[in-house]
Amino acid sequence: MNLESFQTQVLPVKNKLFRFALKFVGSEEEAKDVVQEVFIRVWNGREQMNEVQNWEAWCMRITRNLSLDRIRSMNRKQTHPIEESFNVQHEALTPHESTEIHESMQRINQLIAALPEKQRQVIHLRDVEGYSYNEICDILELDMNQVKVNLFRARNAVREKLTKINAYGL
Amino acid sequence: MDSNRIEELLNKYWNCETSLEEEQQLREYFKGGGIPEQWKETAALFRYFEENKKKALSDLAFDAEVLKNVNPPKQGKLVKLFYNSMRIAAGVAVVMMAVWFVRKEVRQTTPQQVVDTYDDPQLAFEETKKALLMISKSFGKAENQAKKINMFNEAQEEIQKKEKEKNKNL
Repeated sequence: MNLESFQTQVLPVKNKLFRFALKFVGSEEEAKDVVQEVFIRVWNGREQMNEVQNWEAWCMRITRNLSLDRIRSMNRKQTHPIEESFNVQHEALTPHESTEIHESMQRINQLIAALPEKQRQVIHLRDVEGYSYNEICDILELDMNQVKVNLFRARNAVREKLTKINAYGL
Repeated sequence: MDSNRIEELLNKYWNCETSLEEEQQLREYFKGGGIPEQWKETAALFRYFEENKKKALSDLAFDAEVLKNVNPPKQGKLVKLFYNSMRIAAGVAVVMMAVWFVRKEVRQTTPQQVVDTYDDPQLAFEETKKALLMISKSFGKAENQAKKINMFNEAQEEIQKKEKEKNKNL
């Protein structure tokens, strides 16, 4: 792989890597550092890249490993839930609807942040990034069963809480 | 899309049986307005996923930074040539200094045996002649001494001859 293909193929996945790293380390600055390091590793290991079947999943896996290393070195067992702000602007929505959605999204953010780490990773990879089950297995180094079980638990935990919110307005 | 289809897809979704395409359909549907009351929270969940996907590295200089790290700028040819020749020169200088010191040390410890003093060819010739004469004189002396050893030989031969004659007569 030469510099040009690195620039045109590998660099554009930076945002996916960034979002994934952000799920672990919790701060944008740290996540950016992780992604920088991932790219340096990828570049240094570019000879291996031809042997890797799915290089994007490979990059994601490196991101995960480096993020975990970083968390460990920060001596922080659990990442802090990120205070995310959402800027929802849909023309089809009335201002009232917009505010309501914004509030429920904040709640969902808290719900997902409260999930166990593996479930959080799986639901992020599937529902945000749209990876196939096989790719998720590759990235997280889990077997298919574990991936499906974790996704099932994550989705159902979220669903249960959403139903409660819906029913009781909690 | 009619609500029955959405209902069906949602049920599949909660059971982790949807394909990636079907999940995309759900996301598209929940993006729009006019979502029935019962799915309001679900819509918020899908919007949350969509919003999360928009999160990106905001650092504009990121790409340049990565490229700088993976591909450090090359030095000019002339600078490189100069740099390399200086390295070779330094090496040669070290070797020369070492040789010089060793030579100096050796010269100091071993006394000089031969002192060449003859600048005048005539004088040199005379000296050589003198030296050769001395050697020849010594040879002469040695020859005289050797002649004495010859006397023993002659005497021995004489005795042997006489012995033989004696035996013949007997």
